[in-house]
Amino acid sequence: MSDALSDHGSDIQQDDSQEEDVMTPAELIAKLEEAWLNEKFSPELLENKSEVVECVMEQLTHMESNLQRVKKGDVKASVHRMEIDRIRYVLCSYLRARLQKIERFFPHVLEKEKSRAEGEPSLLSPEEYAFAKEYYANTETYLKTVALKRMPANLQTVDLLKAVPEPCVDSFVFLRVKERQENILVEPETDDQREYVVDLEEGSQHLMRYRTIAPLVSSGAVQLI
Amino acid sequence: MDPSEVEFLAEKEVVKIIPNFSLDKVYLIGGDLGPFNPGLPVDVPVWLALNLKQRQKCRIVPPDWMDVEKLEEMRELERKENTFTPVPSPYYMELTKLLLNHASDNIPKADEIRTLVKDIWDTRIAKLRLSADSFITQQEAHAKLDNLTLMEINTIRTFLLDSLNCMYKLRSNLQPGSSKGQFTDY
Amino acid sequence: MDKQSYLPVQPGVGMEDNFLSLDDILLSHQRLPIRTECVFPRLGFLEKSTDTQDIPLGTKMELPLWLSKGLYERKRKVLSVELPKMYREGWRTVFTADPNVVDLHKMGPYYYGLGSQMLHFDSPENPDIAQTLLQTFIGRFRRTMDSSQNAYNEDTSALVERLDCLEKALFRSGQSGLNGFQSWEKGQASQLTASNLVLNYRKRKITDLQP
Repeated sequence: MSDALSDHGSDIQQDDSQEEDVMTPAELIAKLEEAWLNEKFSPELLENKSEVVECVMEQLTHMESNLQRVKKGDVKASVHRMEIDRIRYVLCSYLRARLQKIERFFPHVLEKEKSRAEGEPSLLSPEEYAFAKEYYANTETYLKTVALKRMPANLQTVDLLKAVPEPCVDSFVFLRVKERQENILVEPETDDQREYVVDLEEGSQHLMRYRTIAPLVSSGAVQLI
Repeated sequence: MDPSEVEFLAEKEVVKIIPNFSLDKVYLIGGDLGPFNPGLPVDVPVWLALNLKQRQKCRIVPPDWMDVEKLEEMRELERKENTFTPVPSPYYMELTKLLLNHASDNIPKADEIRTLVKDIWDTRIAKLRLSADSFITQQEAHAKLDNLTLMEINTIRTFLLDSLNCMYKLRSNLQPGSSKGQFTDY
Repeated sequence: MDKQSYLPVQPGVGMEDNFLSLDDILLSHQRLPIRTECVFPRLGFLEKSTDTQDIPLGTKMELPLWLSKGLYERKRKVLSVELPKMYREGWRTVFTADPNVVDLHKMGPYYYGLGSQMLHFDSPENPDIAQTLLQTFIGRFRRTMDSSQNAYNEDTSALVERLDCLEKALFRSGQSGLNGFQSWEKGQASQLTASNLVLNYRKRKITDLQP
């Protein structure tokens, strides 16, 4: 059995302790999976998790380069490859989910980025920002070429910010509570109902409006399911 | 979410296997596994258990709850109660399918187990639809859904969430002032 | 996994409408009965029934929703819009009594959509219309859910026949949940298929060869 694989675990621990957060590779993967599910189920685009993505990529490349040195047919190597494939799937699906949302909400995503205060973290990674800008430009060019340029001069612009629907933060979501929360205000649905508060016990599951719990998703206190 | 993605998550659950080979500890990114010794039970994630099983390198020990008597009790309880009873595993449906499809020779009374789990599932899904209906008709703003599994939620998710969305929009018609400007000009 | 190669823009439910949604574009072409409240000079050619040069005040005609919305103003009366019959009091009573007996497809097919759009035009009946739309949706929800969640592998045309467009879309999302689960259960879910984009591309190539 190759030593390249056996010493792998301790390797990672050392790498990580040099960074600000000490996170084991297992915790890192758990973080990625959380981000994946949250992104899949939240109605709006969440803050990007570039650090997680980068660390996972690093882990995968490191592991893959180790595997290069192992001879074919090694049982251990095949187990490692399966794990790599699984992690890669989650990673791709996560990034894809974000790209889909960017395609869906591009004018709003860019608007938010424009109005972002200095020092406030961006929702988009640099690559995603480039993608969004290009998508915007392409859509505009497309609309212009197929239709707008044939319109009367005063009708040649389309306000994409108004034309593309905004994410609906009033959507309901399913969630599981990771850290107990008290006094979450539930707004009434109809005039004859009254608002009330609920406590979210750790481990309990709920169906409620995304708007109510959006800050708890970003803080990591609840997990969308 | 696609059901196969829920299954993907279920494959992370841990199951006991009895290997017929020996191998040192494997240091996976997600944690250490093994060591593996012939005849000695060891915990592994389901995805690995199924792979080893397919390569005839192990025998899978079914989880405790995958037992006709226990499941019969659960089925009775599920039918008796109006609420959702606690499930033996958050992935009971997925694990049943996976283990029975790939390792039925390691699970006694596999067919009976399949039927029982399906019965429990059907009862729970019927309850889920009842609660969805009352959630809509009562126009509730919050529901507690303990004990529901991801796969169960998943069968109704898009439908229920889309319906709630439509209802929300139709309800905001009642307060005309609250909606956006009179006519949107593009 | 998403089988669509692009994301169509969803119709805006309620008073909103989405500029890029095909459904909303179709909805905006629904015709509304209107009455002109001023003279439309030199537009007589639009009215086939007379050959005057102008459309005189008080003419009753039908205009598409988008045009009616565009011309309608609260302050200066250009036209008044008549309520289509399914939103009038007589039909509202029927809906309130039992929303399930109504064929919303025949009535609509954009019953909820057009109804919500009607709220853009001032009318004392608006609160009642909005209330009826909501109650009709709630009243029919159970039926939509049951039929979409129970019909597996069968011809669903009879089930959706009487549904409005909005309900049909919900029916479809219910069906995709059910079908997804059933094919997973049967072990068909794991089979990967080529994306639509690739398939269409191949088709196009073949037709290109046969001019």
